[in-house]
Amino acid sequence: MYTYDIQHSPAYASLRVKLAANQSLIVEAGAMAAMDSHITMKSKMRGGIMKSVGRMFGGESLFLSEFTATGKPGELLLAPGVPGDVSHYRCQTDRALFIQSSGFVAADPSIVIDTKFQGMKGFFSGESLFLIKASGDGDVWFSSYGAILEIPVNGSYIVDTGYIVAFEDTLSYNVEMLGGLSFKSLKTSIFGGEGLVCRFSGQGKLWIQTRHLGSLINFLHPFRPVKSD
Amino acid sequence: MKLEILHQPDSAIAKINLDPQEELVAEAGAMVAMSSNLNVSTTLRKGKGGGIMGGLKRMVGGESLFLSVFRTTSEAGELYLAPKFMGDLLSYQMNGKTLLVQSTGYLASTPGVDLELGFQGFKGFFSGESIFWLKISGNGIVLLNAFGGIYEIDVDGEYVVDTGHIVAFEDSLSFRISKANASWWGAIFGGEGLVCRFSGKGKLYCQTHNPSSFGREIGGQLPPR
Repeated sequence: MYTYDIQHSPAYASLRVKLAANQSLIVEAGAMAAMDSHITMKSKMRGGIMKSVGRMFGGESLFLSEFTATGKPGELLLAPGVPGDVSHYRCQTDRALFIQSSGFVAADPSIVIDTKFQGMKGFFSGESLFLIKASGDGDVWFSSYGAILEIPVNGSYIVDTGYIVAFEDTLSYNVEMLGGLSFKSLKTSIFGGEGLVCRFSGQGKLWIQTRHLGSLINFLHPFRPVKSD
Repeated sequence: MKLEILHQPDSAIAKINLDPQEELVAEAGAMVAMSSNLNVSTTLRKGKGGGIMGGLKRMVGGESLFLSVFRTTSEAGELYLAPKFMGDLLSYQMNGKTLLVQSTGYLASTPGVDLELGFQGFKGFFSGESIFWLKISGNGIVLLNAFGGIYEIDVDGEYVVDTGHIVAFEDSLSFRISKANASWWGAIFGGEGLVCRFSGKGKLYCQTHNPSSFGREIGGQLPPR
């Protein structure tokens, strides 16, 4: 159990965790913004990640660090790379959490972190679902681009794959193409537009974000300098 | 229909609860999540000018908008819509007045609202993307989005706004586009491109940030394409 608070939510959320003496926390590499000087840091790669390292979205790998407050209590201030929201979840032995891969922020060292890939073959479009599974008994924190909204699912629900942040593993999911949403055929070199959605069914909680990084990338694309030969 | 706007002002998202047999029109790509009993179809709405160059190439200089129509059948449904920019959302009630909206500022509207594309009033100055104007009339609700915060100005007399900061304005206002500075060099190096001089009486909606300025600032530093 950790003492923590989330400040500047939902647009620029940062997570402050107070570690007890000799308590550790697993943190996404690069998320540490500030910390007490007696906190030590170790690089770690977890379990099943080694195999999937090359397949994360955009070539980014899940590198983790372990922070320990040596000798006395200490404070860590964490911020994800992308401005947005941070939420907390308590994993329990019968309820694991799937997190969209770039959304992992921190977790109790006893939590098992596994990577999983689920999506269509054309994953270069950036829209397929790269997931991390956090299981065990302990605290997990995840982040988003934009604000986080919690949706209780009872039956079925559809979410555009780019807006999925996390969901409980009691939900089954299926990535599919909703033809009625697709407009990619008339626009090239953009992220999205294929109408790729994830259909969730069962009972459980789902977290979505209110913005999509791919849209920002698409917007910036025409402003890039053009290569001249 | 019930409309709620959540997480204002930076990451605003619209939550819409549709009654059975109701419809909502939205810019394609705006759908974040929805209950599984909604039907969707997406079409391309074109303006009078422009169009698709060479069939499959990106649309350049033409006014076009991909629109998705969301429909409930016999059951009520729920829909979340979000714009692409970080910023706020505003719900505007249409009741006979005509609203001129910058294309990136349009998010969604109810079916009684008419959308006309390609209003040839003015174009953006350095637009990386073709920015055009929508003429909106009819009755119902229009959801507008902004880059940054959105603020309303009640113009009564005269008012000057940089064109990149305009989200929408009532057409009771007359307007004139001019350079901010007398000389073109001054205009370009001064960083101010085109300004819009409004006069008359009507509401004007502005955004705190200028997408083109942001695009140029960041895009210019990215690797060439």
